[in-house]
Amino acid sequence: MATHIEIESLDQWRHRIPRNSQIGMRTDVIVYASRALLEQIRKDLSLEQAINVATLPGIVGPSLAMPDIHQGYGFPIGGVAALDCEHGVVSPGGVGFDINCGVRLVSTGLSAEEARPRLRDLVNQVFRDVPCGTGGSGFLNVSEKQLDEVLERGAKWMVENGYGCQRDAEFAEAGGALEGADPSKVSDRAKRRGGPQLGTLGSGNHFLEIQYVDKIHFPEAARVLGLEEDQVVVLIHCGSRGLGHQVCTDFLADMNAAMRKYDIHVRDRQLACVPIQSPEGQAYLGAMRAAANFAWANRQAIMHALRHSFLKVFGRDCRLNLVYDVCHNIAKQERYEIDGKKRDVLVHRKGATRAYPPGHREIPEAYRAIGQPVLIPGSMGTASWVLVGTEGSMRETFGSVCHGAGRLLSRTAAKRGRDARQVQKKLEEQGIVVKSETRDGILEEVPEAYKDVDEVIEVVHQAGLARKVARLRPMGVIKG
Amino acid sequence: MFEILEHTADIGFRTYGRTPGELFEAAAEALTSIVMEREVVASRIERPLSADGADYESLLVNWLSEVLYFIDAERMAFHHFRVSEITPLHVAGTGFGEPYDAARHRGKIVVKAVTYHQLKVTQTSEGWTAEVYLDV
Repeated sequence: MATHIEIESLDQWRHRIPRNSQIGMRTDVIVYASRALLEQIRKDLSLEQAINVATLPGIVGPSLAMPDIHQGYGFPIGGVAALDCEHGVVSPGGVGFDINCGVRLVSTGLSAEEARPRLRDLVNQVFRDVPCGTGGSGFLNVSEKQLDEVLERGAKWMVENGYGCQRDAEFAEAGGALEGADPSKVSDRAKRRGGPQLGTLGSGNHFLEIQYVDKIHFPEAARVLGLEEDQVVVLIHCGSRGLGHQVCTDFLADMNAAMRKYDIHVRDRQLACVPIQSPEGQAYLGAMRAAANFAWANRQAIMHALRHSFLKVFGRDCRLNLVYDVCHNIAKQERYEIDGKKRDVLVHRKGATRAYPPGHREIPEAYRAIGQPVLIPGSMGTASWVLVGTEGSMRETFGSVCHGAGRLLSRTAAKRGRDARQVQKKLEEQGIVVKSETRDGILEEVPEAYKDVDEVIEVVHQAGLARKVARLRPMGVIKG
Repeated sequence: MFEILEHTADIGFRTYGRTPGELFEAAAEALTSIVMEREVVASRIERPLSADGADYESLLVNWLSEVLYFIDAERMAFHHFRVSEITPLHVAGTGFGEPYDAARHRGKIVVKAVTYHQLKVTQTSEGWTAEVYLDV
């Protein structure tokens, strides 16, 4: 356990683990947390993992830990690290198995009051239209050639082929497709595993929630995003399914072998990495970008199915619009000013969200004045948040903030002593309808298994990394 | 035979075998039991399985990743496994089961991948032990 780690508090929200070269640290670790969250964070291996990240060759700036940080594999979940593009390394573990796991927020023209009488029908319809859980092949049947096109063009391919409108691609991070994707670097196995899963939600912590806007904190920004109090919205949380998992598995095996060639030694095999500019590094990045594009296409396919569900239940066009779509497991080449000089770095965000400030050219023009929307899903039955990025994130965190509430209990501990029917009943008493493929799906994700999302948000808001726009509350939950 | 190990985000297991071959069979069965109810699966068809590695640890990750691929991509439901040859660099064997049938088989957890997190393969006085964590 992490209790022996020396941490100095810089202020109420920032804490530092100073660089210790004896254990190979090349830089400090900076943790963003309240005192209460820091106590929770110290209970698992997340800080050891943030220290291990600080040993990676070519790391620029500190190894960053967000307030939702918890123990992951290699990298902590809620970790951010920038690696020098010329001399640094790329680590598939710094992206994770679920490449471009992310969140999409869809607004509707319905009020909570209008939706509530049909809520159960809506949840059932969405459950039919969006396959989830252990079974699961999507409504799309793409050929090998089409799959390669999806891997290159992401959400854009979906829109071009009739599964969405123009706006849908425009309002996703990176326009729903990263450049430099190389489908030829994605193994046949990854394609065979993931191809049929296009348009499916998956399981674990992935979900689709029908929510309403509970409270607006920043009216000007909410207006620009088309959000108002009591409005129904939908939050979709999922990633690149088996395709991304297999890409990561394939490259971890390759990199464990290649590290000997580059004489790289890491403190944890899950941190396997190679130089960004090596053939292995470039191959991984080509495949990772392709998997990221698959994830954007996947969330777009789900949104397309969702439009059908609303139409079927309400008998009319409910004006489902994409508010924004962010990824929180990714490595992206970005440029930052470091010690007065512009440098290109590969920002690894493992369970962290990009949060660009107002005026950044990568934000869609319609949103540029308010900053990039940041979507933070909470735990089942609590709250989710919409924020916008601020200048602080550019100065301190390579344009990044947290990605969720952050787990507190293991899945086994979450299930202990709980009954799925009781949990479901308790949520229904709060007006939340839950439908899951399995009982375990409900139990493992009970609200008590997570940190308090409001407290996590308070940290990034108070630390000046992002600004609160709106708090969302769930009405209907669909889980794998 | 296996025990579940707890992890904040995910799930792990510890398993045993008298020989490396038995250990790898037990580990594949543990993975299968976490993914679905293995007891109701019939052994009707065989799938040849193999993997390479640099040592028993990476070999185990790659072997279990091979099993997971057949479960997730080829929609196989496995009942048990037999290892026919094993060195620290290579393992080959067979998985026995049947095609996944949603009407009869019950999936439990979708496993994304097999990880190197706190991975251990150790020889004890009684045989071999492995600890493996899965990303779910």
